[in-house]
This record gives sequence, structure tokens and C-alpha cells, in this order.
Amino acid sequence: MKPLTHRHRALMVVTGLSLAFTALACRLVDLQIFRHTELSREAAANREQIVHRPGRRGEIRDCNGNMLASSQSVRIVAADPTITTSNAAVIARQLAPWLKMDEASLATRLTGTGKYVRLKLKVDEDTVAQIKALKIKGLVFEDQFLRTYPNGPLASHVIGFVDNDHKGVQGIEAGLDKYLSGVAGYEVIERDRKGREIRANRDEEIGPRDGLNVVLTVDQVIQHIAEVELEKAMAEFHPQAGVIIVSRPKTGEILAMSCRPTFDLNNPGAFPADARRNRCVSDVAEPGSTFKIVVCSGAMNDGLITLADRFDCERGAWSFAGRVLHDSHPYGVLSVEEILFHSSNIGAAKIGITKLGAARLYSYIRAYGFGHKTGIELPGEVSGIAHPLAKWNPLSISRIPMGHEIAATPIQMMMAMNAIANGGHLLKPTLIKSIVDENNVPVTKFQPQQVGQPITAQVCGLMATALRRVASPEGTAPKAAVKGYDVAGKTGTAEKIENGQYVKKYYSSFIGYLPAADPEISILVSLDNPVGGAYYGGSVAGPVFRGVAEKVTQYLSIPPQFPDVDEKKVAKL
Amino acid sequence: MRFGNVAKSLFTCLAIATVGVGYVWQKNQIYRTGDEIKKRETALSAAEKRNTMLAAQLAQLKSPVYLEMRCQQANLGLIAPKETQTIRLLEPGPEWDARFLPAVQPAAAQKNGKLVKPAMKVVSSK
Repeated sequence: MKPLTHRHRALMVVTGLSLAFTALACRLVDLQIFRHTELSREAAANREQIVHRPGRRGEIRDCNGNMLASSQSVRIVAADPTITTSNAAVIARQLAPWLKMDEASLATRLTGTGKYVRLKLKVDEDTVAQIKALKIKGLVFEDQFLRTYPNGPLASHVIGFVDNDHKGVQGIEAGLDKYLSGVAGYEVIERDRKGREIRANRDEEIGPRDGLNVVLTVDQVIQHIAEVELEKAMAEFHPQAGVIIVSRPKTGEILAMSCRPTFDLNNPGAFPADARRNRCVSDVAEPGSTFKIVVCSGAMNDGLITLADRFDCERGAWSFAGRVLHDSHPYGVLSVEEILFHSSNIGAAKIGITKLGAARLYSYIRAYGFGHKTGIELPGEVSGIAHPLAKWNPLSISRIPMGHEIAATPIQMMMAMNAIANGGHLLKPTLIKSIVDENNVPVTKFQPQQVGQPITAQVCGLMATALRRVASPEGTAPKAAVKGYDVAGKTGTAEKIENGQYVKKYYSSFIGYLPAADPEISILVSLDNPVGGAYYGGSVAGPVFRGVAEKVTQYLSIPPQFPDVDEKKVAKL
Repeated sequence: MRFGNVAKSLFTCLAIATVGVGYVWQKNQIYRTGDEIKKRETALSAAEKRNTMLAAQLAQLKSPVYLEMRCQQANLGLIAPKETQTIRLLEPGPEWDARFLPAVQPAAAQKNGKLVKPAMKVVSSK
């Protein structure tokens, strides 16, 4: 065999190298051109990570800027059992006191085959810092927001709460969820071998946008006053439920809204659904005598009666359409003013039947806002029941003027009384003062919104004259009188209906405003089925009204109309 | 001629080396700055979290429920004054003049012949 020459050997090497380089080139073309998209995506997935940054939910504040709800940053403490299993007992012993968990159950969780197990939710930052100082390998800390309510149960029905996804479930949290919710952002980051972000290689960065802050018209001090007084009433009269609303009649702003039973916002799940219901907007009941303001003011507005017109109240029993109507006391002939402050059912019915008539009465019922929602910014509001005229029976015209055969929510009654207090303007109730951004710059401001004018200012003045006497010694609610102040109001005592029958259970209520001549505040008190003897609105709700009014007038520095002041002593000062 | 070529080659190598070292140095600086930014971002985030936590604690300490509880615990006996325990003084003006001037004028006139009107204040007494 002829030995290979130098030339041949060189040719073989060159051919071999050429083939190798050609194969390499082909491989490169395949990887870099044909499979480029697929491989670059795979490489990016190995290297890059999309981190979502949730936007912080906005705060809810009272009218003075005091925080009522806010979102706190907390952590989820998780573990990678593939790392922790070998040392589970020791790690569990170290972690148990910080996580306030049982050591054995913690050790069980730390042992396993999965790569991720949650140990505890809602761990505060200070605790996380302490755990990090232990330098335990295999632990993971994830960001999470926790909604906190610094005042606990205060104004719980107004504020509402959120679910586990931080979405509003009830109250303002649900009603204004679109403003409160932040918008999540994201970052596309790269991590090094130790899992640390390589900040210089951050690819995309869309920052989260925090939610807007909602400023309520509610004043936490007035809310507290209402809560304390309602709690006292619950202890004294043991009703099934109770409601207090404090508002500004001239603007429709709600200063306080309190319900019983109540619940703690920081732990709503521990309370029954019944306790979480806002009875001010979602419960309807026959209003009883407080509704007499509608028939009397309507008839006066149409010029059909004056305060001095007199009606025979039939000594307490009057038969109409085959049914006997009763008064709580046997009254003879009463003026319209007396019908109001004595709260005569027969007198009110006669005004409805003989003067106003069904059609006009119905138009005033609608004009005062009954039968449709007030539009308050709370979810779950109901319209109440105001049957259309076609569905009235022959008895309706005698029952509706005294607040039967009609059902209203407490907020509807409050706004009807506010219309009388403010010169006849039916206003939309509002709980929202403004919506502000993180720098307290207002994004939206809420102005008083008039939805109707059922009666004239002149009629309001006449109504105030009569309603002032309700809280006088001759009226139905002398216990509602507030020393030094001119109070106007109306009592209500309505029998409850159970299974379609009236039963000897009552809704006791009082709605009033003060000072009567230039009202600054109006207060509604309603107790559902007080027990222990007293059940009249004047005896049960009247004192509660006074308790709230005394403290609120003092807090708001509303000057009294009849000051009990030694002027000589003042002059010396 | 040969020295010139050597010089050119050296200069080219030096330039390439400088560009290379500069590139590496710059990259290094970018990573260092990135790390600094990350540290500051973490510190800012921690400060913001602490701030919200403290704001919530402050709100809790300022809440009327808490203040009332503390008053009871400390047995301070603090309660809001009633309306009857409050004396409201009017701002100097026509209403003040009409109500109090007759009472003040004689005493003031005896002293220096000038009237001094008090500033508005609210005095509470138990």
C-alpha cells in the first residue's frame, strides 16, 4: 500500500474540518434561525420572571381625615419542603414561637415532596424581620395586603369589609370598590443563581397604581356617640334590633349611621349574616305615626287645611269601611297641630280621607321619595313598599296616613323629615364627602343633590310649629326634649307584622331635628320590638334621641336657643 | 518605518484594550448602580410599609373607643362637658354690645374711661 503523502493527509484534515464546520454551521443555522423563536422564549423563561405588584387599596377616612380603613403590607410565610425536610424538626422549633403555631404541625408541613407549602398568612413585617434574622434556608416570604379597621366595630355597617381577594363585599368597601381598588403593575426581572434580582437587567416595569382614598361625611366622634347611646338603649330595652342615623338636613350628609346587632370589621366571619346587615337601608317596616308628617304637610301644601283646622277624633274609636280605627288616647275635637303632637290616628286618617284624597296622598308619598331608592352609596338598598294607587283597597286611605300599609327604610324616613327641616328640599342622602388621591388632592367632590321639592318652605315652617310641640310636656315625646334647644320631631309606634298578622310587637321610633328654626342636625332613632313594658316611640326612642342630641350639639358647638347663662357672670369674664 | 508600524500596532492594541476594559468597567458600574437602586427601592418599600403600619396604629390610638377605654382604665373621670356647663362668649360686635355693654360700661368707665371688649372664648366648667 502506497503511503499517504503529506498532501493527502492535509486534504483529509481539511475535508474533515470542513465537514465538522459545515455540520456546526448547519446546527447554528438550525438553532439561531429556524428554532430561534422557540429557544429564545425558553431561554427567557429560564432567566426572566414576571413579578406582579398589587396596587394598595385606598383608605377610607372620616370627615376629619381620621383613618377608618387601610391596607397593611403583610407577608405569607411559605417553605420549600425539598430543602426543609432534612431539618424540619429544628426549623419547626425555631419558627413555632414567631408564627404562633404548634411545633409538631409545623414540622409536618415542613416535611414533604412538594416545592411549596404555605406555613402562615398575614404575618406582620416585624415578625418577618425576626424570622429572616434566623437565616433559615428554604423559607419564602410573599407580599400580601391585609385590610385593617383601626376602630373595630365602629361604623361597621357603613364601612363594610373585603373578601380574601381584597374585593369589597359590603358597605362603602363594595359601593366604591372601583375607586378604592388599585391597579396592579408588573416587572419583568432577571434573577441570579442565588435568586436575587439583577436590577440592571430589569426589562419592563409598569408600576402599580394605588387606589383612591374615600373621605366619608361620617364623623367618627358622632358615630361613637350614636354607637354608645344605641348600646345603652339595647341594654335598657332589649330590642331585637336598633338603628340610629344622624344627618345634616341642609345637605343630606350622614354624620353617623349605627345599627344593632353589629359586628367587628376585623373579623366579620365570626358574626352571623343578620348582624352584618345594614338595617338603615335594607330593612323595611311600617313607619307608623312618623308618616303623619306626609299627609299633614301634603294637605297643608295644597291649601286644604291649616294648623288651626279642627277634626273630630271620635273619642278614640272610629269605624271606617267596616273596620274600627283606634287612638292611643280618647281625643275629642283636635286641631291639625294637636293631631300632630298628640299623634291622633283618627285625625290623620280624616285629613287623608276628607281633605287630601287617595290620588293626592299617593302623589305626596312618591314626592317624598317613598317607593324608590334614595340613591345612597351603599349596596343592598331597597325601595320600600308603596303600593300603586290601583292596588289600594277601601281601607288604604285610612291606614296609610298613619303609616300602615306602607313600608319604608329608616333612611327614607330620615330624608322625608329632612325635607321638612330644610325648607322642603328632598335631598339625596350621601356618605361621601370627597375622593382624594394619595396626596390628598380631591379627584371628586360630592355636592348636595336635590331630588325633589314635595312641599314649600312656608309649609315647612308650619310643620315645624306643630312638630316643636311633640317634644313639649303636652306632646308624645317630652323625654326627647333637649335642654336649651328648640327640638322638632315626631314619634312613631308601629305594630309589627309577623306571618301576615299584626302582633303585639312594636317598632318604636323618633325622628327629630334641632334647632327647629335653623336645623343643624337631624336624628332618627328606631328600636325593633323593645321589651320590658315601655314601647311607645316617645318613651323608648325619645330619651335615646335626647342622649344623642345633647352630646352631638356639644361636640359640634351648636349654640342653644335658650341658654341657661348668668349674663352678669359672663359680663365679668 | 518599522518603528512606526510597531507604534501603530501598539496603539491599535491599546485602543482595543481600552475599549474592552472600558466596556467591562461600564457594565460593572451598571450592575453596581442597579444593586444600589434595588437596595434603595427595598428600603423605600420597607419605610412605606412601616409608615402605613404606624398610621394604622396612630388611628387606633386616636379612636374615640380607645380613648374612652384608656380614660376608664386610668380612672381620670374625664367626660365631655354638658351644654349647661358651658359658657359661650360672643365675638365683639353689635350682638355683644347689645347684650353686655350696659353691664360692662359703668365699671370700665370708672377705671380708665375706655371700654375693653373680651375676645371670644369658650369656658367649660364642671
